[in-house]
Amino acid sequence: MLRHTSLFLGYELRFLLRNPVWPVFGIVQPVMYLIFFAPLLGSTTPSGSMPEVLAMFTPGSMMMIALFGSLFAGFGLINETRNGVLERLAVSPAWPPAIILGRVAKDMITLVLQAILVMGVAMLMGLRIGLLAFLIMLALMATTGLFAASLSYGLALALRDENGMSQIVQFFAMPLTLIAGLFLPISLGPDWLQTAAKFNPLYYGVEAGRALFRDDLSDSTIPTAFGLLAVLAVITLIWSMRSLRKMAG
Amino acid sequence: MIIEANDLRKTFIAKRGRGKTEEVQAVQGIDLGVEEGEIFAALGPNGAGKTTTVRMLATFTAPTSGTARVAGFDVVKEAAKVRENIGYVSQAGGVDDNAPGLESLMLAARLSGMSRKQARIRADELLQAFSLSEIANRPAKTLSGGQKRRFALAIGLVTKPPLVFLDEPTTGLDPQNRANLWDEVRDLRAQGTSVLLTTHYLDEADALCDRLVIIDHGKIVAEGTPTELKKEVAGDVVTLRLKGIDEARELLAAQDYIKEVRAEDDVLRAYLDDGEHGLPHLLRALEERNLTLDSISLDRATLDDVFLRHTGRSLRDAA
Repeated sequence: MLRHTSLFLGYELRFLLRNPVWPVFGIVQPVMYLIFFAPLLGSTTPSGSMPEVLAMFTPGSMMMIALFGSLFAGFGLINETRNGVLERLAVSPAWPPAIILGRVAKDMITLVLQAILVMGVAMLMGLRIGLLAFLIMLALMATTGLFAASLSYGLALALRDENGMSQIVQFFAMPLTLIAGLFLPISLGPDWLQTAAKFNPLYYGVEAGRALFRDDLSDSTIPTAFGLLAVLAVITLIWSMRSLRKMAG
Repeated sequence: MIIEANDLRKTFIAKRGRGKTEEVQAVQGIDLGVEEGEIFAALGPNGAGKTTTVRMLATFTAPTSGTARVAGFDVVKEAAKVRENIGYVSQAGGVDDNAPGLESLMLAARLSGMSRKQARIRADELLQAFSLSEIANRPAKTLSGGQKRRFALAIGLVTKPPLVFLDEPTTGLDPQNRANLWDEVRDLRAQGTSVLLTTHYLDEADALCDRLVIIDHGKIVAEGTPTELKKEVAGDVVTLRLKGIDEARELLAAQDYIKEVRAEDDVLRAYLDDGEHGLPHLLRALEERNLTLDSISLDRATLDDVFLRHTGRSLRDAA
């Protein structure tokens, strides 16, 4: 089981190594937000200093890579439902869940590497963060990636249509971004918006990230975010594996 | 027997928009028996249910009813065991376009349990056998259709399975690549591998297989060796184009050296055992009635004539 998962992961990682440019493109957007948007936010934090602004804004920009990167991971799989690759793997001795798990593991690794780059840029701009908080943040990103990528593979296998998939992802990405307080803390908004955010798993991810960057490691949003994202990841993983099995009709 | 199928059936529920569904009976009761070491063909037009049948035997699709044993194992209850004993090359090929063919080959080998070293040795054997060594590290999307098909075959054979399924292996290949692939399939038989292939090409089934079934509308309509099946229809067939087809049909049906006459649009086919000697009589009879021919040809009966006899239509039209 583990052997098959790591074989698929190795296969996917070799693909990544042959095309290392693509994940770098993925962080262009959040880095641009850090450089051009974060400086506008001076008035939203108590002291208005750059490190404080970055501690508030960087977690949101990191969640952005998860949303706009990992959520699109499934697109490649749609093609594989047609070119016979999944059909061949389905009747091979491969452990079926490994087909999905190997890919999801690759997406988690990609996302963590991207997160390191984004945090690196933020640190160059003045962000200060403790080592433990840094490591927990990476674990949080990995969990977010696990959820977002599984969701994406589930959608891909259920829809098996690029057009439908891009519509649905876009449809969800925008409200999820806005209602998570990705750019500005939701606590600045009215009550109804704060209530709405409680139903958005991404909100907990962003809030947990902000707590970590404030070095407030005992904040309750951190375990909440891990728990919620992990549970959702398991549900979407099971869903995508069932869709894989149903592919055959 | 390496494949034994009893009354296999598959019904799909197809969505027809607005919540409506329709039942499609893709396979309606197929019995198969394939001996070890045989090349066995399923011949039939597109949509006959060949692919669905192969997918059920290869454990990709679960049958709606019926049972099948492949390599001694039940395709539903012992799917994992079946998978260890088969190679499966789908119609689409299943070669990952974004990776070099060697990568796909190595992954398939290692998934079957080989170590990196064993996988590399097996991959090299196959690359050599299929003349792929030089293009092993090129991304598959840069390969030609024939090269990709050879990779698909190599991947299917990586575990040295006793049985290989080839679904429409030569569709889309040029004549040269097609002939090469036929040779490769014959080599498999020489090594003792059993092959179940599907095709809608008559000449392919005729040239390659030891035995075949003809499938139409999800059912087997004929079964036997190519020679046996062709013997069912008389040995020779005279194909005529002429005006007054109905009159000619009646006339020819009354001739005692002609076994059977079939009319199809503006073409008349007369089946007879000894074409060379029958043809002069046939021409004389037409002349006596003043029926003028547009064209005439004398051929050996083919599997198309067998198909026509069993389904009432020509495979060329049905496909």
